[in-house]
Amino acid sequence: MRQKIILILFFIGISTTYAQTSIQEQLDSIKGEISTLKKVENSHFMLRGFAQFGLDASSDNVSFNMTSFNPILLWRLGNKFLFESEIEMEYMDNQYNLSLGYANASYLVANGITIKVGKILVPFGVFGEKLHPSWVNKLSDAPLGLGHDNGMLPMADIGVEIRGGVQLGLSKLSYSVYTVNGPRLKDGTASQTEAGMLSYENFNDNNKNKAIGSRLGFLPFSNSCLEIGFSAYYAKPGAATSPFANDTVNMDINYKDVKAVLSAIDFSFVKTFTPISGLIDIKSQYNNSAISDATYVNPDTTGMIKTGRYTFKNNSNAFYLQVAYRPTLVNNKILKNVEFVGRYSNYNMPLGSLWYSQQSQLSYGINYWFSWRTVLKLGYQTTSGVPAAMSMNSNTNMNMATNTVNIFQIYLATGL
Amino acid sequence: MENKKNRIVYIVLIILFAYFLENCTTAKDTIAKKTGTQLWSENCIRCHNIPTPVDFSDPQWQTIVLHMQVRANLTAIEAEKIVDFMKNSN
Ligand code: HEC
Repeated sequence: MRQKIILILFFIGISTTYAQTSIQEQLDSIKGEISTLKKVENSHFMLRGFAQFGLDASSDNVSFNMTSFNPILLWRLGNKFLFESEIEMEYMDNQYNLSLGYANASYLVANGITIKVGKILVPFGVFGEKLHPSWVNKLSDAPLGLGHDNGMLPMADIGVEIRGGVQLGLSKLSYSVYTVNGPRLKDGTASQTEAGMLSYENFNDNNKNKAIGSRLGFLPFSNSCLEIGFSAYYAKPGAATSPFANDTVNMDINYKDVKAVLSAIDFSFVKTFTPISGLIDIKSQYNNSAISDATYVNPDTTGMIKTGRYTFKNNSNAFYLQVAYRPTLVNNKILKNVEFVGRYSNYNMPLGSLWYSQQSQLSYGINYWFSWRTVLKLGYQTTSGVPAAMSMNSNTNMNMATNTVNIFQIYLATGL
Repeated sequence: MENKKNRIVYIVLIILFAYFLENCTTAKDTIAKKTGTQLWSENCIRCHNIPTPVDFSDPQWQTIVLHMQVRANLTAIEAEKIVDFMKNSN
């Protein structure tokens, strides 16, 4: 009898442990499934972007422009990994351009340290990285010298970046250091009028050395209303070998030691003031590019003065200041969506180069915001100086005719 | 005479140091006390108009604020508080 009871207890014991383990197993597998489900939820995909369409009208020309249609893909994995890419579709000057604006992956390594790899927007100054999308930019075009059209500054490039924000007492530091493929020096063999210019967007490099750069932004006040940033960028843009290797006359010319040093200061102040019932937004950036002296060759003998060998001081600079006011605090529903904006910008390209140009521009705008990222922009713009195309036809850089162009602009920009 | 001067210098240094410490601790406090609402209103207006919490859903906010944390170099604490505010107010 006793033995029977012991046997039964033994069996009960075994079966309960068995049942327990199987329940435990089931629980474990359910837990596993939940956590994988969580992981699936943890990744998220978004399609966003922006577009701008409008019209430029001057005294002798009226034209529609689709200045941008840029879809942006965002993919987040967990809370630390983000992939972003932008496709740029631009229709300008009878040309349709499709390009990869940027495509990169960011990983939050630690508090205040993010590593970014791929094609990045180069954090040189702030306009290119933070203010260029058409629904962010309060005017319908970029300030002089900061657009895609003129190759004075780096916009996007392939490389590695480390960046982050650090709290320093009441103030904040925003930093970024990076290394990218860097620019190429145009040696004039493809287009002699561009000798000495830099070309920034290269899918592969023409030499071993990479460009390096950094931006440090200081936000002295605890409410982050003010930011002052300093940027520096250094590159050796020349090819390792002479482009004139097969030319017995010029084979001694080499650009391998040419250095490019770029610097910028940027300023941003955004604050609501009750006495004027609205938001003041001031943005400014000054950029300087200094490329060391080199000898260029112009084989063209059709009348330009600079035939044969020549050199020039290869320094360029560009500046802009923009002030905007929006009466966000007034009660009137229409007025609170109206924004007034004024911008001055100028640039100076090197005197003595075949691409010399010097312009200044005043832009005024009145915007109406339908939503936080859909805006109708009305603008009037006066640009004067020597446009690039004029100096190319001119025999000397002296006495070049300056001209003034006034245009009226209506644009609709939206975040998608 | 020399001694007295030295003492004054020391006292001034100590006062400055105390002031510095005090400033740092109050700074820490001020920053730590900031709410998500406050950080949202101060930071998200710096580059573009400010979106409101109802403009996007929770998973969208998670992605957007990560995007902005990287773009605007927000600190991890700022980003965390802003995401929480967005998610709790939409
Ligand atoms: C340093 C400037 C800057 C700050 C500060 C900033 N943004 Fe942005 N934001 C941008 C730029 C630039 C884009 C456009 C991204 C692009 O097109 O590459 C953008 C895009 C967006 C978008 C569109 C979707 C997307 O992710 O592209 C949303 C929503 C947004 N920001 C919300 C916010 C919020 C919320 C904050 C506050 C935490 C914020 N932004 C702070 C610059 C900024």
